[in-house]
Amino acid sequence: MIGTHLLTSGIIFGLSIGSIYFLMTIGLSLCFGLMRIISLDQLLYYSLGAYVTYSVSLATGTLWLGILGGVLVAGAASRAVERLVFRRTYQRELTFSMITSFGILIGGVGIIKYFWGLVPRPVPVPIAAQLDILGTEVPVYRLVVIGIALAVYAGIWLFLHRTIIGKAIRAGIEDAEHVEGLGINVHRLFTITFVIAGSLSGLAGALHAPLIMVDPQMGLEVLAFAFMVVIIGGLGSIKGTLVSSLIVGQVISLGSLVYAPLAQMAPFAVMLLILLVRPTGLFGSALLKR
Amino acid sequence: MSWVGATIVRERTGAAQRIRASAAAIVAWWWGLVLAFALLASLRLFLPLPFLNEVVIFSIYTVGCNFLLGRVGFISFGQPAYLAVGAYAAAFYLYYFGNNAYVGILVGVAAGIAVALVVGPLFVRLRSDYFALINLALAVIIFYLMQKVLADITHGDNGLWFLTRLASTPVLDLTRPDRFFIFACLVGFAVWAFYKYLDDSVFGACCLAAKVNDDKLKFLGYSNFAIRLTAFVIANSTTALAGAMYAVYLGFVSPEITSPARAADPVVVTILGGAGTLYGPIVGSLTYTGMKDLISRVMVNWELVVGFLIVFIMLAGERGIWGTLQPRLQKLVRRMRAGTGADSGGERR
Repeated sequence: MIGTHLLTSGIIFGLSIGSIYFLMTIGLSLCFGLMRIISLDQLLYYSLGAYVTYSVSLATGTLWLGILGGVLVAGAASRAVERLVFRRTYQRELTFSMITSFGILIGGVGIIKYFWGLVPRPVPVPIAAQLDILGTEVPVYRLVVIGIALAVYAGIWLFLHRTIIGKAIRAGIEDAEHVEGLGINVHRLFTITFVIAGSLSGLAGALHAPLIMVDPQMGLEVLAFAFMVVIIGGLGSIKGTLVSSLIVGQVISLGSLVYAPLAQMAPFAVMLLILLVRPTGLFGSALLKR
Repeated sequence: MSWVGATIVRERTGAAQRIRASAAAIVAWWWGLVLAFALLASLRLFLPLPFLNEVVIFSIYTVGCNFLLGRVGFISFGQPAYLAVGAYAAAFYLYYFGNNAYVGILVGVAAGIAVALVVGPLFVRLRSDYFALINLALAVIIFYLMQKVLADITHGDNGLWFLTRLASTPVLDLTRPDRFFIFACLVGFAVWAFYKYLDDSVFGACCLAAKVNDDKLKFLGYSNFAIRLTAFVIANSTTALAGAMYAVYLGFVSPEITSPARAADPVVVTILGGAGTLYGPIVGSLTYTGMKDLISRVMVNWELVVGFLIVFIMLAGERGIWGTLQPRLQKLVRRMRAGTGADSGGERR
């Protein structure tokens, strides 16, 4: 029914989309795991990363510099927000952080509209070359995106398992009070985690920018997919986030090959099916509220 | 014989007392509702009609969310989904089949109940954080569904326009804004009476128990699932009612109604008014709609202000406007009653 060429490019497309979703949602997942907050403003850092990439690459001519700028600005913004707002929400209920961060997201979209206007902006693809895989021409840039996501996954894994700070963060996910009792400054861990999360969301936006048009609503458009990834994978699990983002990427890509409108609907159906079997997602433990 | 007569007289006075007592109870139960909606209707003297219609519909929209958040402990970020279900069901009926606005509203409510019954059993099993996320996902999915997938029927972003198709209805002509306002106030009054009744009933107590301690509720022999599902269906059919009323009032429906940017509106208004209070949604809607109206008059970029307003409201106070005002009003009322010697009970909640 579907030719090999179409299938190969479909799978690569799905992998690259999944990689971007992974980068975007790992922040949501980490923040939930450690701080028990649902940080919807990650989607703001995603849009911010994309917009800074656009502006910097327009000014300097190289996209890679733009991506670097996007990541840095997103990280700085997330640090400021953590300082000003989230510090006050850690002790509150989970839903509280959700509404607050939604306010930040909406307000941030307003700021983006103020600076960059309403018109969608194109970002040029940095690598125009095509690579031959199984007789199918595949854009190299998409492969680069997949590679970066894999590198980030490996980096996060090494960071969490091989460094002291990472081990403290993992311990904090298990039991933050005990970690505090050991004399580790949990609030600093929170800040570090939040900035990592924000920078990765910025990276996702920066890498996504050349593949789509950059527009102020882009954060809100990916909102549903980010949620689906998080829900399917299970909140707080990094492995779950990787697996589910790959699933969602493939479902979107291959679903749209079968019938175009499926791209939006199929992941939702998959999510409902998985929730029927496992109400906390694939890898989500029955975490208790703190 | 006189002894029998005395008993009859005593019984008569007893009956009269009982009637008077029950009448007092009825008055005590209703007067808050009547006063609230009389105040709302009297705003008509100062404020423009479109604004008030918006406020009343928005209040009905919010009351479902208020019930879920304040009574059942569910935060629903996906209320726009059910709003859109009601609005689009009414719009489909009015655009393709009939032209009677009353029937359109009924169709909208029926669709809301149907959708809530389909997704409810799946959703209410989830933990509250997953519940919030999946509802928002549903809202976005319905947005895409209406904007792109079903564009042949819904006309995509252009929306369905059926204002000219609406026939004028008997008793209250819903095609006229001033008549619609009376209708909206009556519907709102009925909805509030219903929710007040729910608060007083065993079911309302069970909902509160499901929020506070669901293990104990199970221990008492109630089914958590059934109670949550019933509450979910009730709240979301109210939201669908608001959606259908929006459709009839505006005479058109577009996917904008369920846009992700507006997903937090009902939750914010609920908290602004005071979550779990009976009149919080009205106060919240009045404030929020008013602010939005004023801000959008000054600047185009209202999202900026509204977004930071949300953050500020969340950080500043948890009890909301009505949640703060209500105890003070109660104290005032009690003092006034103590002055006149009447008993105090059944104050506005």
